[in-house]
Amino acid sequence: MLLDLAQSKKILFFGGKGGVGKTTISSATAIARANVGGKVLLVSTDPAHNLGHLFDRPIGSQPVRITAGLDALELDPGETIEKHLKEISSSLHKMMPPNLYGEVDKHVALSRDAPGMHEAALLERMADVIEEGYDDYDLIVFDTAPSGHTARLMVLPEMMSAWTEGLIKRREKADRFAEFVRELGQDSSMEDKTIGGATSKEQERESKIRQILLRRRHKFTHLRERIANEDETSFIIVLAAERLPVLETIELHDQLMKANVSISCLVVNKRAPSDSGDFMEERRIQEEVHLKTLSESLPESERHDIYLQPHDVVGIAAVEQLAKQLQ
Amino acid sequence: MTKKQKESLLKRIEKGLYEYYVTPYRRSFARAQRDEDDLFMLLVFAESMGLPNPAAYYTLELLPLVYDRFHEWHKRMGMERSPLDHIGCC
Repeated sequence: MLLDLAQSKKILFFGGKGGVGKTTISSATAIARANVGGKVLLVSTDPAHNLGHLFDRPIGSQPVRITAGLDALELDPGETIEKHLKEISSSLHKMMPPNLYGEVDKHVALSRDAPGMHEAALLERMADVIEEGYDDYDLIVFDTAPSGHTARLMVLPEMMSAWTEGLIKRREKADRFAEFVRELGQDSSMEDKTIGGATSKEQERESKIRQILLRRRHKFTHLRERIANEDETSFIIVLAAERLPVLETIELHDQLMKANVSISCLVVNKRAPSDSGDFMEERRIQEEVHLKTLSESLPESERHDIYLQPHDVVGIAAVEQLAKQLQ
Repeated sequence: MTKKQKESLLKRIEKGLYEYYVTPYRRSFARAQRDEDDLFMLLVFAESMGLPNPAAYYTLELLPLVYDRFHEWHKRMGMERSPLDHIGCC
């Protein structure tokens, strides 16, 4: 089941409500794929990183080897933002007199906590991880943050490329005006008041602005194409057979459809087994009620059930055990 | 009047006429370009001026390229003093 999917795709996203077992299921899928001889990269995008807890070992922002064929990393947007800001600071320093360094640094520091910074940095790292890992790995598995966060992350590339597109168009327009002005000869009253004036220094600035914007657009368009490519990329929603996770799953499914992300299946985790006494039997019947709601709302979606484990899933051995259920 | 003087007079008249007709166009194009530039500045500084900017992370990257224009820009936008507390350009 999940293994077939893992073998036929290049990129898998696991999402769903908090606490349903996204990290466990995505890790088990990654291990199952590695066990049949694939190179897999497991990536956590959740700011509250759980991969380290699951495998009971530290995992950082650089890939570490978990077991044969499986590397893992936890994206750290904070670290990406720091690096980004440092680069901006240093290029600003180059063009400002030293007595203004303090002002520049203050401005940049204020941007650190601006809304959207974390998302943008996360998106940037995600794009890089996919590009860098695409050839080295047979499969890249993303263990994402709870529903709302992830639905937004999926529409972000589209939004951002529209934004850069808009800005590029505006620059082109400004550039055309500058071109006209140049053709009509010099006018000293305006020349030094525009960003893209007639001097070569201004043209250089203009082309640098253009370069940055084009690089951005390229990155977003590429990421968007990868995510939207159904043959390579798929989204799996993990849930528990309870009222709230079921309702949230239906909503997330809706949001992802709107973002043109294809959802290949639903994984119902921690299902009550059928031969484990009266209590479990009662629970199982209760779960069927919720699953009926689910199949009524999402009749097209394929569903896989994973049964409740008697023990916690912690460490590689336990995840390997669970991975066997996915074959 | 020699032939040479005549030519230079014609040249001068031609130049004068050219300027007379072309200047208004050049000025309006330059103005349109400046408006575009001002808008661009606004987009780059949006977040720091309290306008939500979905792409603050990316506009920040353009900051080094437009920072030295900031003073002229805020003056032109009718703000006598720098609108940003932390940019003390004036």
